[in-house]
Amino acid sequence: MNRYHLLHATQFRYDGPVSESYNEVRLRPIHDETQSCLSFRILTDPVSRGTSYRDAFGNWVHQFNILPEHRHLKIEAESVVLAHDAPVPQFNGMKLSELEDHREELEEQFLDFVAPTGYVPHLPQLDELGEAAAKAGDGTVAGFVHATSHLIHERFRYVKGATHVNSSIQDSLSQGAGVCQDFAHIMLGVVRKRGLPARYVSGYLVPQSAASPDAKLQEVIGGYASHAWAEVYLPDSGWIGLDPTLGKPPGLQHVRIAYGRDYGDVAPVRGVYKGHAGQRLSVDVHVRPALDDDGREQLSENKTPPPEAPVITERVQQPAQQQQ
Amino acid sequence: MPLQGLFGDYQVGSFYDEMFAAPDQPRPHYAKIFEKLASMVPSQFEERRQHADLAFLLQGITFTVYSDGRGTERLFPFDLIPRIIPHSEWQRIESGLAQRVVALNLFLQDVYGKQRIFADRKIPRSLVYSCKHFLREVIGIEVPRGIHTHICGIDLIRDSKTGEYCVLEDNVRTPSGISYVLENRLVMMRTFPDAFQAYEVLPVNHYPAELSRILRSLSPRGGDDAQIVLLTPGIYNSAYFEHSFLAQQMGIELVEGRDLIVDGGIVYMKTIHGLQRVDVIYRRVDDDFLDSLTFRPDSVLGVPGLMGAYRAGNVALANAVGNGVADDKAIYAYVPAFIRYYLGEDPILRSVDTYLCSKKEDLNYVLGHLPELVVKAVGESGGYGMLMGPTADRERLEEFGRRVKADPRNYIAQPVLPLSRVPSYDPALGTIAGRHVDLRPYCLYDGEKVTIVPGGLTRVALQQGSLVVNSSQGGGSKDTWVLFGED
Repeated sequence: MNRYHLLHATQFRYDGPVSESYNEVRLRPIHDETQSCLSFRILTDPVSRGTSYRDAFGNWVHQFNILPEHRHLKIEAESVVLAHDAPVPQFNGMKLSELEDHREELEEQFLDFVAPTGYVPHLPQLDELGEAAAKAGDGTVAGFVHATSHLIHERFRYVKGATHVNSSIQDSLSQGAGVCQDFAHIMLGVVRKRGLPARYVSGYLVPQSAASPDAKLQEVIGGYASHAWAEVYLPDSGWIGLDPTLGKPPGLQHVRIAYGRDYGDVAPVRGVYKGHAGQRLSVDVHVRPALDDDGREQLSENKTPPPEAPVITERVQQPAQQQQ
Repeated sequence: MPLQGLFGDYQVGSFYDEMFAAPDQPRPHYAKIFEKLASMVPSQFEERRQHADLAFLLQGITFTVYSDGRGTERLFPFDLIPRIIPHSEWQRIESGLAQRVVALNLFLQDVYGKQRIFADRKIPRSLVYSCKHFLREVIGIEVPRGIHTHICGIDLIRDSKTGEYCVLEDNVRTPSGISYVLENRLVMMRTFPDAFQAYEVLPVNHYPAELSRILRSLSPRGGDDAQIVLLTPGIYNSAYFEHSFLAQQMGIELVEGRDLIVDGGIVYMKTIHGLQRVDVIYRRVDDDFLDSLTFRPDSVLGVPGLMGAYRAGNVALANAVGNGVADDKAIYAYVPAFIRYYLGEDPILRSVDTYLCSKKEDLNYVLGHLPELVVKAVGESGGYGMLMGPTADRERLEEFGRRVKADPRNYIAQPVLPLSRVPSYDPALGTIAGRHVDLRPYCLYDGEKVTIVPGGLTRVALQQGSLVVNSSQGGGSKDTWVLFGED
């Protein structure tokens, strides 16, 4: 079990005055049996009043508006999350060859997670990956899914800027490169084409340095904090997580924020405003071990606190619509 | 009685003729109007027709055809010969429509709520989820008083042999046309006052008051001083005349998106006295354009943040958002099942046989019988995106066949329906001839009972032989009389 303190700051700077800004954010970590969201708060500058609701995928959404003219907008989401050790999934070894018999039933139950989407069109190039993964696996559905994740990890280069936030898998497939968002999308495409329901997961990847007091500070491919991966529904065991960026299943370092059909359903920040000004976006995500009951920095159930809390900062600068 | 005068060349034909039971034998409820018309000489009739046209023109009763470059507004052609429905016939229609409206409302409550119907396997979940107009953004929203289908304009047609009324489309989004019903009656009373002396015709003019009452009852703040507005996309919308007409009739503000603003989940109207809170919006803007934060980000017709206010229960919208799923032409085929499932009743009104191209056996049938069928895109309305098999040339049939094969879920097919005919004046011929009609009654639902103004809009395909009654495709309309008695 690990406890994290997360600070996710999104900042828009506009070249000129804008007004009547309406925003919708999905920043609240999921609270369920394998992850507890102990506290969450959201602040904006300029200040605003907000409302919240849960969307069709069960995600918490916060909406707020700022009417007067402003030249910058900062959205700060702060949360404390407890990551539990996930139970080891049990597979009864359903054969990949049996999967086709379940296609209709799975489509009936999970149409949203098997149908093609804007980011994840069912391109023919996905079949080649699917066949290679089927060969590499052990003939079971679970084996196929894990092999797909490995294969994407091996074949694709992690290159920041190779794609952009609105890229469909087409861009990444043709370049053989991309970022976590692309790899998660490709993963969805490959398994969906086989009839398996799969959903996009947005969240954080807590760097090793913060996740374990002993580990040295090291870069983790996939960015320091904001991350994306996939969950696939196996008819014989339910939803399992896969991180094709790392090529392995997600663990205690993964903090889930939202589920969706693709990135479009889970964009952390989305908004519209009045004004003709251009904008620049910057995102900072700080992760540090949360304080324990005595107010000390605390990482895991391990009682010895780390000597100094590392603070990891990521800053990206990219032009975008008011969407991150 | 041999046909003469304006009826000189009248052919009853092989269709169900609403006025004539046989070539020279008017049905009892049409007898008096038939005598009146038969006694007129063409020039007398033509004179009254011109009076009627002038009345429409002077009052600016118009509509817009989007695909026509010739100009924005056009007169909606009006045919002076009324369509008459005896009382008992109307009662059956009324109870059938009310049943349908309540079942559709329960279906919408269910698919955006508990989704009981999927668990009970009365309709495939995947079919509903694949509807273009099924909005995931609406799931979980509790709409005021549980009403989704405040206003429905259900299209009816009559069986060519028996004259039985069948439902063709439900139109539970933003059906238009009621203003023509009201105006047609006024113009008719002015140009043909003598015709009304012979009949007891049920009035239609209480529609705005009834709609206003329902809108008021939705106010989240309760009380009689609810601020109600009609949200229009603006003057370029095909139904702008109707929007301004209804707002004026109900005494409510006619607003565009830019006149409203949301702050902290509350909707306000910008007025010269400052912001005024809005409780109920009769919106004539499509779902996609309603809120640029939730739906199309490029929309300037709606109000950003509106869905948040709606979700929080701070404003009522009529009709509810997401109703388009019930208008999907594939879902249409399941409405009789909804009536049985939600109400435990047998449908009073028949539906038209429908082939769902998403089903393999239906698809094969449709592809093999294109020239006999009407093929429709499931998410379209107003006669757009449709193939009329019998009148299409080979090239068009082949092109449509390809479209259907490429995206079967997007199409349904129905047999060609030889719509019933009502005598109508053909200005080109200078005589009266049979023209095909349908009927769109307007149903208002307040959560307890369904109120339907007697009759509705009779749309008529004015071109000889045409079966397409849509105003966008050259149709006109008639005054529709529901009688107090039988004749």
